[in-house]
Amino acid sequence: MPRSPSSEVSQLLQAWNNGDETAFERLMPLVYNELHRMARYYMARESPGHTLQTTALVNEAYVRLVDSAHTNFQNRIHFLAVCAQAMRRILADWGRSRRALKRGGEVPMLRLDEALDGAETPGLDFADLDEALKALAKVDPRKSQVVELRFFGGLNLEETAEVLKVSSDTVLRDWKMAKNWLRCELSGESLDGA
Amino acid sequence: MEPERWQDIERLCYAALNEEKSARAAFLDRACDGDEALRRAVELLLAQHEKEDDFLEVPAMEVAAKGLARDQQDAATQTVADLASVERISIGPYRLLQKLGEGGMGEVWLAEQSKPVRRLVALKLIKAGMDTREVVARFDSERQALALMDHPAIAKVFDAGSTPEGRPYFVMEFVAGIPITTYCDKHKMTTRQRMELFIQVCEGVQHAHQKAIIHRDLKPSNILVSEVDGKPMPRIIDFGLAKATSQRLTDVSVYTRVGTFLGTLEYMSPEQANSEGEDIDTRTDVYSLGVVLYQLLVGALPLDLKKLAYDEILHRLRDKEVPKPSSRIMSLGGDSAITAKNRSTDAPSLNRQLRGDPDAVVLKALEKDRKRRYGSPSELAADLGRYLRNEPVSAHTPSAAYRARKYVRRHRLGVAVAAGLVAMLAGFAVAQGVQLRRTKFERDRANRERDRATRITDFITGMFKVSDPSEARGNTVTAREILDKASNDIKTGMAKDPDAQAGMMQVMGEVYINLGLFSRAKDLEQQSLDIRRRILEPENPDTLASMDDLAGALEQCGQYAEAAKMFRQEIDISRRVLGTESPQTLNAMNNLADDLRYDGHDAEGERLGRETLDISRRVLGPEHQITLSTMNNLALCLESEGRFPESETLFRAVLDTNRRVLGQEHPDTLNSMNNLSFALFAEHRYVEAEKVNREAFDIRRRVLGPDHPQTLVSMENLGFALLCEGRYAEAEKLERKSLDGHRRVFGPEHPQTLNTMAALALVLSREARYAEAEKLARDSIDISSRVLGPENSNTAVHVYYLACIEARKGNRSEALSLLRQALDHGLAISWGLGMDSFPDLESLHRDPRFIAMVADVKKRAAANPGSGNM
Repeated sequence: MPRSPSSEVSQLLQAWNNGDETAFERLMPLVYNELHRMARYYMARESPGHTLQTTALVNEAYVRLVDSAHTNFQNRIHFLAVCAQAMRRILADWGRSRRALKRGGEVPMLRLDEALDGAETPGLDFADLDEALKALAKVDPRKSQVVELRFFGGLNLEETAEVLKVSSDTVLRDWKMAKNWLRCELSGESLDGA
Repeated sequence: MEPERWQDIERLCYAALNEEKSARAAFLDRACDGDEALRRAVELLLAQHEKEDDFLEVPAMEVAAKGLARDQQDAATQTVADLASVERISIGPYRLLQKLGEGGMGEVWLAEQSKPVRRLVALKLIKAGMDTREVVARFDSERQALALMDHPAIAKVFDAGSTPEGRPYFVMEFVAGIPITTYCDKHKMTTRQRMELFIQVCEGVQHAHQKAIIHRDLKPSNILVSEVDGKPMPRIIDFGLAKATSQRLTDVSVYTRVGTFLGTLEYMSPEQANSEGEDIDTRTDVYSLGVVLYQLLVGALPLDLKKLAYDEILHRLRDKEVPKPSSRIMSLGGDSAITAKNRSTDAPSLNRQLRGDPDAVVLKALEKDRKRRYGSPSELAADLGRYLRNEPVSAHTPSAAYRARKYVRRHRLGVAVAAGLVAMLAGFAVAQGVQLRRTKFERDRANRERDRATRITDFITGMFKVSDPSEARGNTVTAREILDKASNDIKTGMAKDPDAQAGMMQVMGEVYINLGLFSRAKDLEQQSLDIRRRILEPENPDTLASMDDLAGALEQCGQYAEAAKMFRQEIDISRRVLGTESPQTLNAMNNLADDLRYDGHDAEGERLGRETLDISRRVLGPEHQITLSTMNNLALCLESEGRFPESETLFRAVLDTNRRVLGQEHPDTLNSMNNLSFALFAEHRYVEAEKVNREAFDIRRRVLGPDHPQTLVSMENLGFALLCEGRYAEAEKLERKSLDGHRRVFGPEHPQTLNTMAALALVLSREARYAEAEKLARDSIDISSRVLGPENSNTAVHVYYLACIEARKGNRSEALSLLRQALDHGLAISWGLGMDSFPDLESLHRDPRFIAMVADVKKRAAANPGSGNM
């Protein structure tokens, strides 16, 4: 019997909470699709420049996907972690399609140093960032997760600390160092020669 | 990097941060202990640590939204990266990524193909409501040809199919470019740069034509420009799609009264608009290219068709004169300054730039009558190239179109003479009318032209008055009588306007040639040339055209040496005035080569033919009409030298090119099949000759109908092949059908009808049905004597045929007497010289009287060259 997404997501979250690591992977496509659908909806409606809050989006997704009967703090935190990764995948996919489109086109790619030196970061390439994060995960997985949770998931310091089971201070130190690492990687000054 | 290494770097980084800034360098010296890579990594990280910016501090979704907004601004004219449309929809192996655009026919998506290769493609999803199966089937029929296209200026079409919902779609190479007109304006390209870019487009279209693909929907939005290595590179998209959907893939659509979708009419040729897509050839694309060129140069469309009723649009396409680009520039009002600015110049300079050659080239591409247009995109490109190299362009000389007439004439084996006469004269009047419109701004000249048009009209009306019952004697008026009367009248009737008079004489001369009345033709062409030499400069294209036609008439009369002299004079002037490699010069060289062959100087003719062919191939391209004509004549020369295989190869090459470029059903293609069949006859390969003729016959019957003159010619040639194969019964059946057709179409007394009677008579005599054969032959002699005259070469041929029948019967004396009669009354030399190898005269071959007669013919031919007749 087909289950509604909401009960399915809730049960998977519960399973994950209970230590079932495979539940995460099964959750991912459900969350991905829902977030993606919502993102499209909002992006299409928002006028350019209007601020879009990841947290608002994720909260709405949470309400849609998770049975209110199963809402507890643990589930919610785990759900945010899933959302963060889903969002990262969505934006990385978008970045790749956008990059492929531009490669043959005549719209000049915004160079990364331009993007990074600017007061804002309007032209960040999500595909590049995704690859840099993968590289970071190989040498320091926790730092990669911190970036994913904070930047893509919109989690605050405490929520991130809760997911990663570390102190807020550690999250902050990781966050700062991860950004340094990523800036080097994305500007082509790889530390790998080291 | 190993995690341990990273831990070292990170640890050192924190340690250094604990040091005072000034002490860090010394600290790192000590801590890294000569490990330069380690030190560099730490320093890089430390440099980043000082930065205070937004990096990753703005939530991802917001960054994405801003990036999207930026894309939309950047790509206002181009592809919009739209997160909103990142659908995870797949059609077959194609995953749709982004919608690139939407139009009347459907929508275009950027898609990713996963199998068999991973690549980005453009997927055109056709609107619901079309017959998917039919669309896909039509595409399939072109798929092979499309696959053969391989040109940098053509975007490949990969695939077609249908969605589960039944919407057809096409998959093609993704081109990230912008429409050619937008690109040129954006980069403020000069007229010259625009022409150079446009030439590349022509080359792409030419390539497709060589693969037998007509685009049918060329317009700026289908010609995209992107930059490769900093240079603009045009790419033509949507090849093959218009045909598959049998309509146009356009943005603005209109519907005819019957509800047929028609599409944007601005780029559509008059014949396309007229025929609803039935009668389209490569010249249709030439017209559309002309519109694009017009827009590139002028910044406006040649005809304003916006907001017009359908009937009015058709009317304008067909009849409204296109203003010269140079004058259009000045009539754009405030837009002319913008147009000029986009071309890095000002309006008066742009007007000067376009005057003259560019005007002429554009207008020639936009001719309403496709016969007057450039024959191919490469001809258009060649003329633009000539202009850019400061060489004279062909568009200027009105004679260019009829320069190649000779080629056409050689192939026109069985034109309906009366119909041809009317058509040619009407064509002449129309040509004069067009000239009239062209020059309407020059007032004094316009008055003269109007008077001329009236005079020509009156004259033609007068010509045909003889066919009025009141003036005619019963029903026996013939084309010959009309023409004789007219050609007598013209010396006085048109004396007031020697220019038009010379033109009419030239056309009538051509009609006489088609009637086989060569000496009359020669007289008229001579008079035409005399007039033109009197009133025009010797270098005038019209004078040269007259020289060419007179030389042709002399050749037909067998005055080969005089013809050669005339051709040589023409070539001298043409070389001097138009250049050694101009089409006119090459055509005259081709004609001279052919004349040399007639005169028996095969080797010299072959040498000149090859020289002409080399230049023509190089200058005009392998598919130019003159190149093909030269190949054709060279093949005839080789045939005459008895080098049949080489000759056949050339004929086949001409046929292949015509097939490829013009299509299987094009008249030129069918003509070259005809010529090939003659080569096969010469090689006595009758079965193959039969096959080629049968194919031509089948196509003509299907395309032109069973009663079309050309169909009847093919039917007769097929009958002849069967006769040669000894399949008399089949041959007879065909010849009888052909005779019925001829009588219906041409009338019972037409020379073509008489020829068919003779052919049937020959078949019957081979079947030993002499009584029937003889009756037919005698009837044809009687009619021919009455209609064309007893001294006419055609009449003589009928007498010759009767001689053949008598020879078959064994009446040698009667046969010899008839042959003597034919020889004494106008039989063409070639017939006389062929007597001793003519199979139907075999019974006479050993008769001493016959042998003496043959010797006499040879002597007379040698003593009296140039008479054409005995």
